[in-house]
Amino acid sequence: MKRFQTSVRKSIWVGTLAVLLLVLIAGCSGNKNAPAANKDAQQNANQEKNQSANTGKPAVGGTFVYGRPASVNSLDLHNQITANNAFAIDKVFEPLVAFDSKGEIVDWLAKSHSISDDGLTYTFVLRDGLKFSNGTDVTADDAVFSLQRHLNVGGPLAIAAKVDTIKAEDSHTLVITLKESYTPFISELSNFSNGILPNNFGGVSEEEFFKKPVGTGPFVVEQWDPAGDLTFAKNPYYWQEGKPYIDKLVYKLIEDDSQAINQLKAGEIDGIESLALQNAEEIKNGADTTVVTNGSWVTEQLFFNTLDQHFSDVHVRRALALAIDREGLTKALTFGYAQTANSLLPTAIPYHSNDTIKVLNFDLNAAKEELAKSAFPDGFTTKLLVASGNSTRAQEAQIIQAAGKEIGINIEIESIELATFRERFFAYDFSAMLNSGQADSPDANSIIAFQTDPEGFSKSYWTHYTNDEVTKLLHEGQKTADGEGRAKVYSDLLQIVAEEVPYIPLYYPDILKGVRSSVNSFVVLPNGSVRFEEVHVKQ
Amino acid sequence: MKLSKSLNKSPGGTVSGRWLVLAVVRALVVIFCVMTAVFFIIRIVPGDPAKMILGEYSTPEAIANMRHTLGLDLPLWEQFFRFVKTLFTQGDTGNSIIAGTSTRELIAERAPVTLLLIGMACVLAVLVALLLAVLAATRKDKLADHLIRVIPTITLGMPVFWVGLLLILLFSVRLHWFPVGGIGEGWTGTLYSLTLPAITVAFSQIPTLVRSLRAQMLEVLESDFVVTLKAAGIPSRVILFKHVLRNSALPTLMLLGVNISYLIGGTLVVEQVFGIKGIGSLLFSSIAKRDFPVIQGIALYCAVSVVIISLLIEIISWWLDPRTRGKQ
Repeated sequence: MKRFQTSVRKSIWVGTLAVLLLVLIAGCSGNKNAPAANKDAQQNANQEKNQSANTGKPAVGGTFVYGRPASVNSLDLHNQITANNAFAIDKVFEPLVAFDSKGEIVDWLAKSHSISDDGLTYTFVLRDGLKFSNGTDVTADDAVFSLQRHLNVGGPLAIAAKVDTIKAEDSHTLVITLKESYTPFISELSNFSNGILPNNFGGVSEEEFFKKPVGTGPFVVEQWDPAGDLTFAKNPYYWQEGKPYIDKLVYKLIEDDSQAINQLKAGEIDGIESLALQNAEEIKNGADTTVVTNGSWVTEQLFFNTLDQHFSDVHVRRALALAIDREGLTKALTFGYAQTANSLLPTAIPYHSNDTIKVLNFDLNAAKEELAKSAFPDGFTTKLLVASGNSTRAQEAQIIQAAGKEIGINIEIESIELATFRERFFAYDFSAMLNSGQADSPDANSIIAFQTDPEGFSKSYWTHYTNDEVTKLLHEGQKTADGEGRAKVYSDLLQIVAEEVPYIPLYYPDILKGVRSSVNSFVVLPNGSVRFEEVHVKQ
Repeated sequence: MKLSKSLNKSPGGTVSGRWLVLAVVRALVVIFCVMTAVFFIIRIVPGDPAKMILGEYSTPEAIANMRHTLGLDLPLWEQFFRFVKTLFTQGDTGNSIIAGTSTRELIAERAPVTLLLIGMACVLAVLVALLLAVLAATRKDKLADHLIRVIPTITLGMPVFWVGLLLILLFSVRLHWFPVGGIGEGWTGTLYSLTLPAITVAFSQIPTLVRSLRAQMLEVLESDFVVTLKAAGIPSRVILFKHVLRNSALPTLMLLGVNISYLIGGTLVVEQVFGIKGIGSLLFSSIAKRDFPVIQGIALYCAVSVVIISLLIEIISWWLDPRTRGKQ
């Protein structure tokens, strides 16, 4: 009897412990909503502080650890395009002109620049006392060497302007002449790929140079594992006095999204680069975390392969465009961190024409009528290619599938792993796919050329969309000087694309970064990069 | 089991050179089959390593050049022949396509963390399993016994990564007891940061271990010699720890060895969940980047470890446990 009692008592103990453990675990998944009102106000204040210039005296020193989903595997600025490398390159190298958080061109290494009336001669005057991170002076010869190398290499962000000469007029003045005018040139010069490096790589081999590069940027590479983390140290010769405020910047590789979010919440890292829309609220409402956002140069789109038997028919594309409720889709999927898209050109870029162009808005009857005009009036079955691992896109695909069903288009969703997905769409092996387009510079030409030029490298973003009138307008836009004339060209071009829908622009997602509340002056650029020389952390 | 049969063929029941050679040859055949399968499977899956190196927006010429440099433009059979040649001449799978360094070096760099994690998980699993099994066996058919048998069976159905996430949420994010991920500095830092991952991996091993150990202990507890010991007035604690456990532990350790492939697999997944830069995260990133030599290298070392450990387990159990010998 006694033995029985002991075992029962112990069992009760074990049971109680188990229940306690379960309660604790369940408690973790619960939302912390209690101090909501207060915290919202505090967060708004935080956010404003983050976005605006900081008025107080910034804290100096410390390390900022930034969680990123991919490692930096090359720092050769002329050969790279992806964010994982670009956002490290732009910490080390800086261009003559840059863009600010609103996407406007500002003088950077150049203290001033001028463009001749015929649009053929560009003159840049370098700032005084500019030095590379090894202490040597920056001269116009370095700029000549850098741009010349970019012209020779070509690379994914090749200088598209027809450059005649690049000359150093004196040690501080650089003159570039073009064979024919090319308006986007000044904007394209603000790309990270037009950063300035020392003449002849400062006397070392190319390979050696890019292992430990020397630039004018706020940071220098201290330790770098191409398959892991990268640690930057502050550049002691940086031209913006007193900056950067932090001593070290660590790019920590965290491939798993939830791992990154948990590390931010636990305070193990100070920020995360890639915050998914669906996680924004959780970070915004976190006790010690907040979200920093900015409008982006990204447009989420549904792309059609115009060589496909069904989607080569403009009526089919129009029908589907009319069947999709883009506004509803945006609301449902982006948690308020996006704007419904009317064109391929994000609103953060001039000449977007979002208010003036007439787009095919949600109208089921019109959609059915449009499909009736096509070669497939009774509908058909097709496939939609989606890269797996992106839950927002998976939901998007389902909404589009449902929209297709309404008008008799049976859409099968094909969700495949990213590497395979890329392989497939680069080979035009798809009927329709979900993807986004991103501008590299704040000039309208950047994304328009990438998505409408069938002769270009991307073949109208692998849709093979070809329209002679559009091509003509594209070239006209490149030559027309900024102003009303150029606005008209792009408005006409976007109107044609809106009617022929080689792709359906869905929404412009904001850029979201998650940071600890102690982080200040975290300025997000519309290309997704961050000016870390401004960042300071409350100690 | 097959090895046991071949052991039986040995004259006089001792481990002779002949079937040791046979066993090794068979192990090599298994490894070779695994490697061949991995070689072809990763090449059937679309995704071009050249494009992964050069980036999405590289020119077709640059991609063609890179494919040539990497030998990816050769016919498949020739690539396979080269691969086998490197495997036999260098005992390696070649250089990593992405990092450029030798696969062996890359793996050697990452292996200590993974091995430490496996080791910690094994120790934890065995300790907890021992404790639970002793409790269950000594309280046979009581509530404690039922609970210990039922609860682990339920946990057996929980996916490893999910258990990991729950532990992170509770002990790292909420309570701040352990780091969310990564490995700390120094020995103590490393051990400390590997605690949660080790618990996660051990979690998946405990149920089967408890079940096996409990059954073994019950068998021994009811055996004649324990009855004799009890009759001789030896204290039950001494009987339990000195005689019963010693006789029951071996089969459980053997089971742990047999489970080694699950253990390795589980560890690789858990590394990803906890952001540990071990073999697992190397494998995942290599798959995403289509870094063929590294994927093959990891497959090779995993296959070799599993085969060697299984071989050792069979030999050890044959040496140590007379019953196994008798059954052959």
